[in-house]
Amino acid sequence: MTVTFTIPELETDRLRLRAPKAADIEAYIDFRASDRSKTVGGPYPRHTGWSQFAGLIGHWVIRGFGRWIVADKSTDAPLGIVGLYHPDDWPEPEIAWSLFEAGEGRGIAYEAALASRAYAYDTLGWTGVMSLVDPANTRSVALARRLGCVADGHYDHPQYGRMHVWRHPGPGEHRESDT
Amino acid sequence: MIGVLQDTPVIETERLILRAPQAGDEEAFIPFAMSARAEFIGGGAECDLGLAWRIMAIIAGHWTIRGYGSFVLVDKATGTPIGSAGPWHPAGWPEQELGWTIWNADFEGTGLAHEAVLALRHYVYETLKWPTAVSYIDERNARSIALAERLGCRLDKAAEQPKPESPCLIYRHPGPAQ
Repeated sequence: MTVTFTIPELETDRLRLRAPKAADIEAYIDFRASDRSKTVGGPYPRHTGWSQFAGLIGHWVIRGFGRWIVADKSTDAPLGIVGLYHPDDWPEPEIAWSLFEAGEGRGIAYEAALASRAYAYDTLGWTGVMSLVDPANTRSVALARRLGCVADGHYDHPQYGRMHVWRHPGPGEHRESDT
Repeated sequence: MIGVLQDTPVIETERLILRAPQAGDEEAFIPFAMSARAEFIGGGAECDLGLAWRIMAIIAGHWTIRGYGSFVLVDKATGTPIGSAGPWHPAGWPEQELGWTIWNADFEGTGLAHEAVLALRHYVYETLKWPTAVSYIDERNARSIALAERLGCRLDKAAEQPKPESPCLIYRHPGPAQ
């Protein structure tokens, strides 16, 4: 039996932001089981990673928006997860990013986050958005700055602890050439 | 149709519509998951808002990975989502399970879970071609044990435990030919 699940796809210079699919599961579970997921509550047992992958898709069902698999445009290889994240325990919707090892160090999260932000503003009509970042995650802090975000206090999560709020520039306030 | 599960089956019983999860179901599910009534299925006092929301997302996403999943039980008379039931097979489960939960306490004791699971057992055998099905039940969950027995299930002490560190009762359903 096949269940159809449709979400919008976004394209950038090097990337395709597309729906999570069965072929991505192992790469996702590897990431959630690795030390790379330490700043997002991990590492997690592999069966938990499977459920979290299901949750990645279910987020779209519940909210109508969510996080995409960031895939290499030419090979379709999954490089990470970037997009709009808003579980009920979040203070407001955020732009979230996590890169798998295969996506590290090439500006991919930046490219995907910019596309996600443009989608939030131009398609969904959002007037602002933030990102929650673990202050110990220096690479994510650097990315937030590169995206033009400014520090805007913190949010204490009962399970994940303190996360810093980085407020993105609003629609029309940030150009790529500014960075 | 963004983010909507499509091509999913809809099953009608005497009093219920059984359908795939959709936006809005979380409003009925979350209060249940955070209540004492959910203590035998991983919810209850330990379950906060974030976990409850994520479990609902997992229930929805399970469908796209497996091609089947837990159906939401909608009361025909009122249109209210009152629970979920059906085929369930997350990673780590040794076998495919038929599960059930009644979210709304007002609908407990009405036989609706029995009605839903009978229809869904037929569905997993006839349409999904499962050769067998089990239900994993907390040994303290007297209501679910009674339902399993009413459904003709037998305790299977030889079956593999889904969580060996906290064993549950494993009820095996009558097979497709029975």
